[in-house]
Amino acid sequence: MKPPHLADRLLKFFCAPGRLEEVQGDLHEEFQYQLRQVGERRARERYWWDVLGFILSFALKRKSIEYSTTHLTNPTMIQNYFKIAWRNLWRKKAFSVINIAGLAVGLATCLLIVLFVQDELSYDRYNANADRIFRMTLQGSIGGKELDIAYAPAPAGPAIQHDYPGVEAFTRLEEQGTFVIKYGNERFKEERVVFTDSSFFTIFSIPLLKGNRLTVLTEPNTVVLTQSTARKYFGTQNPVGKSLTMGTMGLFRVTGVCQDVPSNSHFHYDFFGSYRSLHAREKWMSSGANTYFLLRKDYSIDKLAAQSPQIVRKYLGPEVQEFLGMSYDEYLRKGDRFEFQFQPITDLHLKSDREGELEPNSDEKYVYIFSAIAVFILLLACINFMNLSTAGSANRAKEVGIRKVLGSVQQQLIRQFLAESLLITFLALLVACGLVIAVLPTFNQLATKTFGLDTLLNVRMITYTLAGCLVVGLLAGSYPAFFLSSFKPVSVLKGKLASGVRSGWLRNTLVTIQFVVSIGMIIGTLVVHQQLRFIQNKKVGFDKEQVLILHDTYVLGNKLNAFKAELAKQSQVASVSLAGYLPAGNSNSGFDGVRDVNAPAETSPYRLKTYRIDEQYLPTLGIRLALGRNFSKAFSGDSAAVLVNEATVRQFGWKNPIGQRIATVGDGSPGDRHTYTVVGVIRDFHFESMHQHIAPLIMVYGGDGYQLALRIRTENLPAFLKTVEQKWKAETDNPFSYSFLSERFNRMYESEQRIGELFGIFAGLAVFIACLGLFGLAAFTTLQRTKEIGVRKVLGASVASIVALLSKDFLRLVFVAILIATPIGWYAMKEWLADFAYRIDLEWWVFGLAGLLAVAVALLTVSFQSIKAALVNPVRSLRSE
Amino acid sequence: MKRSYLGEFEEIVLLTVAVMEGGAYGVAITHEISEQTGRAVRLNQVHAALERLEDKGMLKSEMGEPTAERGGRRKRLFTVTAYGRRTLQEIQEVRVSFWARLLNPFKPATSL
Repeated sequence: MKPPHLADRLLKFFCAPGRLEEVQGDLHEEFQYQLRQVGERRARERYWWDVLGFILSFALKRKSIEYSTTHLTNPTMIQNYFKIAWRNLWRKKAFSVINIAGLAVGLATCLLIVLFVQDELSYDRYNANADRIFRMTLQGSIGGKELDIAYAPAPAGPAIQHDYPGVEAFTRLEEQGTFVIKYGNERFKEERVVFTDSSFFTIFSIPLLKGNRLTVLTEPNTVVLTQSTARKYFGTQNPVGKSLTMGTMGLFRVTGVCQDVPSNSHFHYDFFGSYRSLHAREKWMSSGANTYFLLRKDYSIDKLAAQSPQIVRKYLGPEVQEFLGMSYDEYLRKGDRFEFQFQPITDLHLKSDREGELEPNSDEKYVYIFSAIAVFILLLACINFMNLSTAGSANRAKEVGIRKVLGSVQQQLIRQFLAESLLITFLALLVACGLVIAVLPTFNQLATKTFGLDTLLNVRMITYTLAGCLVVGLLAGSYPAFFLSSFKPVSVLKGKLASGVRSGWLRNTLVTIQFVVSIGMIIGTLVVHQQLRFIQNKKVGFDKEQVLILHDTYVLGNKLNAFKAELAKQSQVASVSLAGYLPAGNSNSGFDGVRDVNAPAETSPYRLKTYRIDEQYLPTLGIRLALGRNFSKAFSGDSAAVLVNEATVRQFGWKNPIGQRIATVGDGSPGDRHTYTVVGVIRDFHFESMHQHIAPLIMVYGGDGYQLALRIRTENLPAFLKTVEQKWKAETDNPFSYSFLSERFNRMYESEQRIGELFGIFAGLAVFIACLGLFGLAAFTTLQRTKEIGVRKVLGASVASIVALLSKDFLRLVFVAILIATPIGWYAMKEWLADFAYRIDLEWWVFGLAGLLAVAVALLTVSFQSIKAALVNPVRSLRSE
Repeated sequence: MKRSYLGEFEEIVLLTVAVMEGGAYGVAITHEISEQTGRAVRLNQVHAALERLEDKGMLKSEMGEPTAERGGRRKRLFTVTAYGRRTLQEIQEVRVSFWARLLNPFKPATSL
């Protein structure tokens, strides 16, 4: 019978070798004794117990008997680590500055991007029930044209809440354009006005400061204001019970005041009118409102989404017959369809880009891109640190040797080097904080955010930052620490360095990575800028220069025509047009179902964009006719005439478009159906952004006084604007506002422009950090080769040949980087460009230019060091040996 | 008088070694103590005490013969050094002198 084997092994591991024999002997003897006394099971138990007792006593004894040693947590030693680290930094100021500057820039960039990403991800999460709020959207196709709409039919909310008990509440948001709002003498133009159901404040967690959450919006013509708007109109007075005049909709009674809508919300309104103030609409196919549902806790959204076909058949089915002239089944057979989908509210900001979004949303893609950039830039800075430390290892090798001879173990040396890197990281963090504070306003402007210092200085952010720095410090420091501490004292002190110090394949790889990232970002910047220039200079099909837009001219009411006539008389004005519909910026927009009357077979109607224009519209905007004629007052029948663009002609497949007849569906009522005759074809122009292909467009005669467009010819713009303003002021006391078509056009690509600018900045930073690293590295290698250079010069080498010698190695790395970065950059930019319907081709010279830039910058950086080294008199470098 | 301090358990172990006259090693000492005093003594405690006493110079040891039940391992046999014996005597003397000065020696408790 043998004692437990495992216990023996354990004992052997812990016991001092000299004492193992007697201890184990005693234990075995005792085991045999116990075996006879109490049986096997108890004996084994006791054996274990005894072994554990021994192990414990060894462990306790070891501490008290062995000579004292330094532990990880020994404060004296930690103090010493940092003292030595500080001395090292101080001794090599230039390299410390390079290190700290690189890291600081990297960290600052990272901090800003983290702020941005965190904010993007936090959208709509302020709602207490964010996980149970869903938006209903409509997908489908009519006549083969895909629909992807952010809103649902207006009656859908109440109907679905009625039909499905799992739906706790619904609310709708519907805009009615801008309003001029009056209270006493205060009069402002307000754009952020919405009409919503009384359940709004139940579903969305926007606290009411005044008024009852359940009843504030139950009556028609009531409105809730945000806190800051209330202050704007009423100052310190209590607004509840007072009445505002809201544009043409009449008096609205204020029933409540709510907090301002948080900035990280997918909508921002100042006025919440009651939904019952709008006239009720019963038709599903001709009404729309952003519709949100709050589900009960135990009800999953999948259940509701699975009901979509039933909902469509029950409610839309009958209307298909009415609007499209065929039964729902027939409609389905033609390959068309309708479907309701439900989006989680937290997905809206980043994952939704449908027609009719309340505000342009952001894109997930940019969150990924910026996170990647943050990681890359930090990586570059870390690489710098690693490179400079290992390159400098030649100088530290002796120190390591002496320390080891004096009894340092590798563990202690590792800790010392880590302490050094932590010190550098935290110094860099201090600098980075300063940088962030300095550039925050600029960054806010670029990213259109409103970060204050408070967003940076909260506990969570600080904890993350410190933890992040710790990780960066340890990561960047780990390689040098293990590398340097592994030197063998004998060979180091003899003056022989480990072969790794000189060749440094790892260092070369790291430099290559740095340049791959830099070149990639240069390519990105070039392509983004090229595409933006392409968009801005592309012939859009209309003349966007010298067009002035006057806003909100509808407030003039029946005086509008007189005002327009008066403007037309000005010598600086070429033409004036009612321009409610415009291809850029604020515009009405309408769709109508359009059918070819003479088509051989009954087809389902196409859903086409519709403009209402007057006869001055085409000349004012500089849109040219391809065929036929413009609208004219001279033809009395022009109210039944229509202009179509070339895309429409292609869509209907007309050989001879003039004289063709089309019919519109309207809102379904017989009075809203019209038949039009095509009198002219206009050249295609971009009435949507360049992301989309030019779609079919029809223009009917009517004109829309929402805004006025003026084609002007004047050198003295300010004087002209003053004249117009005076005339405006003479007619109305509403605020005067205007814009230029070209400005509005450029603003359409604001987000791309921002991306372009940010890319440029980040690319610059990446190149800067990479160059810092290269600069340091070049300095080290030239230092190491001082003697070699001296000997070469003595033997007759020219300055140029020495510079070439020193630069060659680095240039080789840059060339490898170009080879790697080119395909990656090509692929990434191809993906980005795929978003544009009209885009540039990727040309080889972009990559050539990026590579050339990288080579030039690298050469400049390195040559500063190498020329300095090459000019040194060899007497100085060879003097001492 | 200056000498190493001896704990109560150390004293007992030292005494046991002295009593066992050359046959003292870990297991034997442990068994002897638990038989004589009735306490549950553990092997590792005895080993620790033996080691401390050896460090203080009151015990010396040499390796003995291997036996089969020890798996062929040798015993470490302990003997008391002169210093150890003197220490035991001094302890004894100190105690005797204190007992002698006790004016009213303890009587067995009587039940009233």
